[in-house]
Amino acid sequence: MSMMNNALSGAIAAQTALNTTSQNIANAATPGYTRQGVLLKSLQAVGGGTNAAGNGVQVSALIRFADGYKSLQMWKAASELGRYDAGQPYLNQLESVMSDDTSNINNALDGFFASLNAASVQPDSAALRSQVLTSADTLVRRIASQQQLFSTQQNALRDQRGAALNQINGYTADIALLNKQIAAAQAGGLNTSGLLDARDQRIDALASLVGVQVVAQQDGTVNVSLSSGQPLVVGAEAAVMGQPAGQLELRFANTTFGVSSQGLGGQLGGVIDYEKQVLEPMQTTVRELAAGIATLFNGQLAAAGGAPLFVLNGTQLELSTTITAATLAFAAPGEGAGGGGNLKELIKLKNSTVVVTQFGGTPTVLGDIYTQLVGTLGVRSQQNQAAQTTAQAVRDQSQANWASTSGVNSDEEAINLMQYQQMYQANMKVIAAAGKLFDSTLAAF
Amino acid sequence: MRIATSQYSQTMNTALQTANAGLTQVMSQMASGSRILKPSDDTIATVRLARLSREEAALDQYRSNIAALTTRLQNNETTLTSMQDDLLMVRDLMGWAADGASTPEDVKAMATSLESLRDSLFYSANTRNTEGQWMFSGTASNVPTLQLTAGVYSFGPGVNTQTQQVAVGDGVTIAANVSLQEYGLDVFLNNLQAAITAFSNGSYVGANPAGAQIDAVDGLLDFLSAQVAQQGGRQNVINTMDDNHAAVSLSNKEATLALGKVDYAEAAIRLNSYELAVQATQKAYARVSNLSLFDVL
Repeated sequence: MSMMNNALSGAIAAQTALNTTSQNIANAATPGYTRQGVLLKSLQAVGGGTNAAGNGVQVSALIRFADGYKSLQMWKAASELGRYDAGQPYLNQLESVMSDDTSNINNALDGFFASLNAASVQPDSAALRSQVLTSADTLVRRIASQQQLFSTQQNALRDQRGAALNQINGYTADIALLNKQIAAAQAGGLNTSGLLDARDQRIDALASLVGVQVVAQQDGTVNVSLSSGQPLVVGAEAAVMGQPAGQLELRFANTTFGVSSQGLGGQLGGVIDYEKQVLEPMQTTVRELAAGIATLFNGQLAAAGGAPLFVLNGTQLELSTTITAATLAFAAPGEGAGGGGNLKELIKLKNSTVVVTQFGGTPTVLGDIYTQLVGTLGVRSQQNQAAQTTAQAVRDQSQANWASTSGVNSDEEAINLMQYQQMYQANMKVIAAAGKLFDSTLAAF
Repeated sequence: MRIATSQYSQTMNTALQTANAGLTQVMSQMASGSRILKPSDDTIATVRLARLSREEAALDQYRSNIAALTTRLQNNETTLTSMQDDLLMVRDLMGWAADGASTPEDVKAMATSLESLRDSLFYSANTRNTEGQWMFSGTASNVPTLQLTAGVYSFGPGVNTQTQQVAVGDGVTIAANVSLQEYGLDVFLNNLQAAITAFSNGSYVGANPAGAQIDAVDGLLDFLSAQVAQQGGRQNVINTMDDNHAAVSLSNKEATLALGKVDYAEAAIRLNSYELAVQATQKAYARVSNLSLFDVL
């Protein structure tokens, strides 16, 4: 009789194994699916003396082929990649606009100095003077449009931050719900592999938005927190992140944490880094350039008793509305109406310097400030692209690594299929043989 | 290392994307003819090109100034030369008057010619340019050079000997104007007027007054010749500067090309290698993806 029971246990085990294999094959192309296998254990004989071989086979558990460390690596790589991916489009946009030599600030500054030079041929010519005013207007407009571009990017960044925070909140809520379900299923003795896969995928998506630390707990739940320690998910409780008045904050179970914008990682960290490290210094530099132009030119015009040409309205550079071609102070004090002594000094301002904080507070030549700004942007973009390429390679490698443990290999499953089929067929044959033995025993009577 | 089935398509994807990115880059470079599509491609070259561009703009402006200045210097020269011609005729008439053989009637007739010559000199000195500014008033170009009040010639109020400097190079300026106040033209014309009056009413006596006049005319002629020569000298200087600017501009343009132009041969080779990589990967994938144990079972 034990032969029948052994064969039965073998057939049942083979069936379980075949079900598992079929599940793997069906999900071979499912992203994030972790393959499962059976753990076969032979059953020890209970009683029967030394001649009892055993009580068959049992599927003691389904193995889920997952390596927690590889998942962690994958999530970390996702954060890094998200961080560099986030800033690159903005860098590209700035590069393409600012390097266009026919429409950038350098071109307008050239045009302004060109018009001053042209006016030196006949300083009292009304036509040449109004040309100076026109090119000054062009310069002012170009600076304004550059500042407009910066502020448009700032708005876009703020919107992107808001969207990222919404998504983060969605994912943390999902993870908390999954935690609850997994804990309940585990306590109830159900297979949680599918739920675990779903949770891992949510964490992966969350990791690309913001850098996270994940710690597994005994009851099957995970605790997720920001890399600076504030909790995002604890058990079945999820935090909600927001940015009231532009400052990041996190609300968890009636407590509000302030979130530092340093080292956040992921897309959120990437856009914040870009704004703080690239956009804001560039805005400051352009403002300093505008203020420098206004101070230098107005100062030189005032030295000859003339009215100011540029007006600094807060951070906006504007052309004075009261100045006309005739009131431009080109003549030095003591010269007649056709004098160009002050005009000569105005032309010399091309080589005067302005202190720029972005370049370390060193005085930089007026005509070179924008060139150096574009150069700095280029270097920054180059660094970001290199980091992006590396992060992509690391992410690809970590995904390959994860797949090597948890991914389904169709050939392997085909072999398993054959193996368990044969196991089933063999056990069926054993049952048939046992039946024949019983028939023979009965036929003896 | 264990390979999952999804690895093949993943590898294929990554390879194709890399090759596509490379192909797009090469095509953009070839289409625009420029090696540097955005500053991050080559930051040092970008900064150098920007600085070359600034220099080019400045040189263009200097050369255009030189062209405008040439016109102005020529105008100066023309007017001064016509004044010289008038003065030569005055000198002839003075010489004739100094000749003892001239009768008082002859001398009276000369007075008429001298009047028109005096007026011609007066109008020449007050030449204005196309915008109505007086050319010979120094920097007080809104004031007439000479004015006639109650029969007395004097320089206009505020007429000075200052120069209008034109920028023709970095820190190099050339004076564009001539100021007639440097020579006492008003005194000369007043003396001429006195001589004319003397000729007309017969109070003219003998050769000496005319002699003094002739010396004055000679002095003014010398002054004008010097001025004309100076205009020529300035013209030479700015011509030299123009040639210099042209040479520097040419070398700048060459440098710009060397830094920024794409090397089509190298780009074509790169294009070929990307194409080859894509084709090989596609073929390999087609063969590998056909291998499956399920086909045999």
